[in-house]
Amino acid sequence: MSNVIHASHLTLAYEKGEKEIIKDANFSIKKGEFVFITGPSGSGKSTLLKALYGQLKPSEGSLVVGGLDLATVGKSKLQELRTHMGIIFQDYKLVNEWSVAKNVVLPLMIAGYSTEIQDTQAKRLLKHVKLSEHAERYPLELSGGEQQRVGVARALAKNPVVILADEPTGNLDDYSSNVIWDLMENACQQLDTTVLVVTHKIPTIFSLPYRHFIIESKGVYEVH
Amino acid sequence: MKFIKNHLMFILPLMAILLGIEFYLVFDRTTNTYEKGLKEGYSMLVVTKDPMELSKFQDLNSHISSLEKIKRDNIVSEVSKGVSKSTSKAILKALPYFYNLGLDTYLHSSGLEEIKRDLEADKNIKRVETFGGSYNSSYKLFSFIKFTLKIFIAFMTIVSLFLIIKQMEIWKYAHKERMQVMEIFGAPLMLRSGVLFKVAFIDAIFATILVSAIFFYIKFYWAAQSGIDIMMENQEVLFKLADIGILFGSALLIVIIAVYSVVFSAKGVQE
Repeated sequence: MSNVIHASHLTLAYEKGEKEIIKDANFSIKKGEFVFITGPSGSGKSTLLKALYGQLKPSEGSLVVGGLDLATVGKSKLQELRTHMGIIFQDYKLVNEWSVAKNVVLPLMIAGYSTEIQDTQAKRLLKHVKLSEHAERYPLELSGGEQQRVGVARALAKNPVVILADEPTGNLDDYSSNVIWDLMENACQQLDTTVLVVTHKIPTIFSLPYRHFIIESKGVYEVH
Repeated sequence: MKFIKNHLMFILPLMAILLGIEFYLVFDRTTNTYEKGLKEGYSMLVVTKDPMELSKFQDLNSHISSLEKIKRDNIVSEVSKGVSKSTSKAILKALPYFYNLGLDTYLHSSGLEEIKRDLEADKNIKRVETFGGSYNSSYKLFSFIKFTLKIFIAFMTIVSLFLIIKQMEIWKYAHKERMQVMEIFGAPLMLRSGVLFKVAFIDAIFATILVSAIFFYIKFYWAAQSGIDIMMENQEVLFKLADIGILFGSALLIVIIAVYSVVFSAKGVQE
């Protein structure tokens, strides 16, 4: 199976010459794998995720995602790459002035799909995350768990090659967290999507085989 | 109510800038006509030993644009009343040549002095009279009005720009989250800034229409009934159809700069 993500001697720092957050990391993630990245607070989990969706350029080494080296990739290629990613945030990052349905189809809107396709997909996705009745409501009218389900539906909208999730259940109660994990397991299993989740704790209810990386002392190590 | 307030907060400073631009255009056109009148009404008197052609004067100074010979016969007939024909002929022979010289532009008194120096450098020219005193007082008044208006327009533009920057801060706050989310999901710049552009574009149209309406009113109603000579004489140049294009172009330029400043400052993911 081909690598969807490959890091080689990867070093990450917010400013050139500043203290490194990640140093000389080497790892590969294959298509369809479910990966947890854990580590103590401030260890650099979210920084690594930012680098994976191109928000932070590697200061040294290479980070190849979907065949593109994010250390050297241009703006337009990066934009194109992001349209094949589904990203889930701890604070949901929904557009509060848009309806739930419009939030869900954002990736389709960006890809230029017709409004008919967007409407059909919005219905399908909201049914999938059990939020059909909330299509016309606004994010701030929903509970945290419901907002995160909207976030997951948005991440799945365009059948992404890779889903990156930053503490997706960090703000949720146990019931809502279990629903989110279920949805992500399904995405990995049914769509063969690579899922990479940054979390401080791996859920006990998780049933899929997964790989586990830990970030410690600036290094990224696989736990066997 | 909030919707109207948000639009007005951009439309009003934009209108102030457009008013400044239009005032400048109108004033420039009106003063050009006035300046032309002053220029045409002005001429300097030159006395030469021998006759001289316009090209010769132009060789001495390029600002000289026209030449009018003062008929010597008329002068002689005035001064030789009651004298014999032969004396009259002798006077005519001894009389130098007189010319009124017109200029191509409206010059400051130092410019006139320079022309005088250039002309007097020629040995054939005996005397140059610039009538600088009366000319200078009109010029100074004219320059003062022009300068004052320019200062006023510049001040108005600066204050309006500050108001627009303030509005851009509000836009940034209101649209940042959406633009950042769209950026994360790979939306190109045009799509990210689309909503903001639409809002600003509509405001630009409104501001242009309102400023044009004000000047149409000034041109067709106020100026006609104002009783102010310079306004009534120059009614035609008070507002031209082409000005709508200039105003809309300027509004559009301000909108593009404002929107892109907001879009670029809203890059990156907020923690």
